[in-house]
Amino acid sequence: MSGATTTPAAEKRTRVTENGPAGEQPEGLRARLAGSPVLRLVGRRLMIVIPLLFVVSALVFLLMEALPGDPAQIRAGMDASEEEVEAVRQQMGLDRPGHERYLSWLGGALTGDLGSSVVSGRAVTTLLGERLPVTLQMAGMAFVLSIVISLPLALAAARRPGGLVDRFVMVCSMTLLAVPNFVMALLLVLVFAVGLGMLPAIGFVPLAEGVWPNMRSMILPVLSLAVPMACFYARFLRGDLVEQLNAAAYIDTARSKGTGPWRILWLHAFRNSSFGLLTLVGLNIGALVGGTVIIERIFAMPGMGTLMLEGVMSSDVAVVQTCVFIFAAAAVFANLLVDVMYAVLDPRVRYGSH
Amino acid sequence: MRSGARLATMSGMLNATREPAATSNGAAGPILVVDDLRVTFSRHGRVVHAVNGLSYQVRPGRTLAIIGESGSGKSVSVRALMGLLPPSAHIEGSARLDGTELVGLDDKSWRAVRGCQIAMVFQDPASSLNPTMSIGAQLIEAIRMHAPLKRREAAQKAIDLLKLVRLPSPEKRLKQFPHQLSGGMRQRVVIAIALSSDPKLLIADEATTALDVTTQAQIMELLVDIQERLGMAVIMISHDLSLAACYAHEVLVMYAGKAVEHAETRNLFSNVRMPYTKALLDAIPQLSTPAHLQPAIVGGHPPDLSALPEGCAFLPRCPSSTEQCRIEPHLAEHEPEHAYACWHPVSRDGSCTGQKEERP
Repeated sequence: MSGATTTPAAEKRTRVTENGPAGEQPEGLRARLAGSPVLRLVGRRLMIVIPLLFVVSALVFLLMEALPGDPAQIRAGMDASEEEVEAVRQQMGLDRPGHERYLSWLGGALTGDLGSSVVSGRAVTTLLGERLPVTLQMAGMAFVLSIVISLPLALAAARRPGGLVDRFVMVCSMTLLAVPNFVMALLLVLVFAVGLGMLPAIGFVPLAEGVWPNMRSMILPVLSLAVPMACFYARFLRGDLVEQLNAAAYIDTARSKGTGPWRILWLHAFRNSSFGLLTLVGLNIGALVGGTVIIERIFAMPGMGTLMLEGVMSSDVAVVQTCVFIFAAAAVFANLLVDVMYAVLDPRVRYGSH
Repeated sequence: MRSGARLATMSGMLNATREPAATSNGAAGPILVVDDLRVTFSRHGRVVHAVNGLSYQVRPGRTLAIIGESGSGKSVSVRALMGLLPPSAHIEGSARLDGTELVGLDDKSWRAVRGCQIAMVFQDPASSLNPTMSIGAQLIEAIRMHAPLKRREAAQKAIDLLKLVRLPSPEKRLKQFPHQLSGGMRQRVVIAIALSSDPKLLIADEATTALDVTTQAQIMELLVDIQERLGMAVIMISHDLSLAACYAHEVLVMYAGKAVEHAETRNLFSNVRMPYTKALLDAIPQLSTPAHLQPAIVGGHPPDLSALPEGCAFLPRCPSSTEQCRIEPHLAEHEPEHAYACWHPVSRDGSCTGQKEERP
């Protein structure tokens, strides 16, 4: 029984782990949370992310300053007299120095007031409330769909590298990957809307008007976003899986246990390949949000992308600033999420390397 | 304590299996018969002959060491026995494990053999465990692959196995991940996985090469001990002659995919006949040799396995080669219990040069 001896300290540690978050002592729980590498990681990242967002907002502000076009002139109208424009400028506070305006914008933003649109005069927060859900729904569905399509394809292809399924998936994904998403969008419209008449070519139906009409209006934009991404993920994951299967010693160990090929693929190779895929997906979320700008335009979806484009066209500073800031924040938080996911998935990060 | 009772049944099982191990010195028939095994790889029109007609037998309770340089085909030959070669490998000949022909098995039948009848311990314990799975998960997977046990029963068996490989505090280890263990501990886990279904044949493919010398000795002692208790056959692959001398019953020296010398360990090391084996032995630095002396190395390079010359493959590097060596010597028992493939075997006093004068 000499093998079963544990030091009291080690035993205590095991017991705490077994009790989990349901542990009765709040003190122990707090100590455990503070000791959790995942939470420490989130804390460390947030300390970088929050100042970063301030920098991003300042950059966006500078960018808007540098844009040609005078918002006061636009608000006042093209045929307004110089005095009228000057009056509007003062009323909008544009005569104040830049840093003052930035600070007051920042102060407003922190208290939930993002200013109002120069063109429509409506509050930016109200506009966001209308537009953000459309983009979120579209990007979210495209994100999920791209994963749902790519995982089975990559696993099926990696089962027999060089086999029929593999070659079929590789050729198809290469072809579809070579098509930019706006061309994909137009092709989809041509086939499903114009040719077959199955789906609406453009326009958005809110969820409030029924789930099915809403979904119908979403199918084509979501597909044109998701398909190129899915092809990218499938090719990447297939390559990583094949490399794991060929080169990794733990795959040999798993095979020599008598483990079946699918179980090896899913349980052994995929777990290790998922880290590479995760990085790629995280980086791609930024691109996904950017991609919605074009796709929303093509399908006339009233989302963030169209809002931003309209804003840029009419030098609507408050709108553009908010939109760009939200896009940037989405990218930053996507990467934060990826870091946290690493920690959750990879025991080497989760438990530290001692 | 329940685990105490379990331990008793475990040791009961060990006692029961110790019997055949004791009687295995000669009486038991071979568990593995390899006959004229050939492995070729075809790539871009080049055919690489990795294993060229290898034959040997292993009996239960016995350890065969297969020795050779990198590229001598030693690893490929045992991976063929596990069905772990890539699809580009073409395997011919015969390898019968307890009556089952392994060459040409289909995927499904392989799965019943692997892990159940043959198990393997790999070279690098740092990479042969899945970094994303806990020790327990990997061990329980192996246990449940061949035995219809419930998860809790399998977990108990996992703890028993970790005790068998003498891993300290086994209950705690189940929840740990490979990176939390040292190299020696990881190799113990790999051995536990290999032993999970009580295999008849254990292959240790350079199982201690990646470990430091102290750990190496501990792991080898463990393997020997477990072999004696469980009575299985062991094939150990190594490039380390001294390791083979310490732990193997028989030694088979491979060169260019062929066996060039094969004998009982004591017999082989007291009476080396093949110049290649001699060269390998001379390459081991001795404490008795003066310091700063250029170590004797085996000159030249291993042959190109895609363009093997006619005759003896060791010819270009051999100090005692003659015209006769252009005809391939075959492995034969020139002396009782001692087979070698050479026209000009090293003489008993260990010199090669005496043979050269016989040159026609």
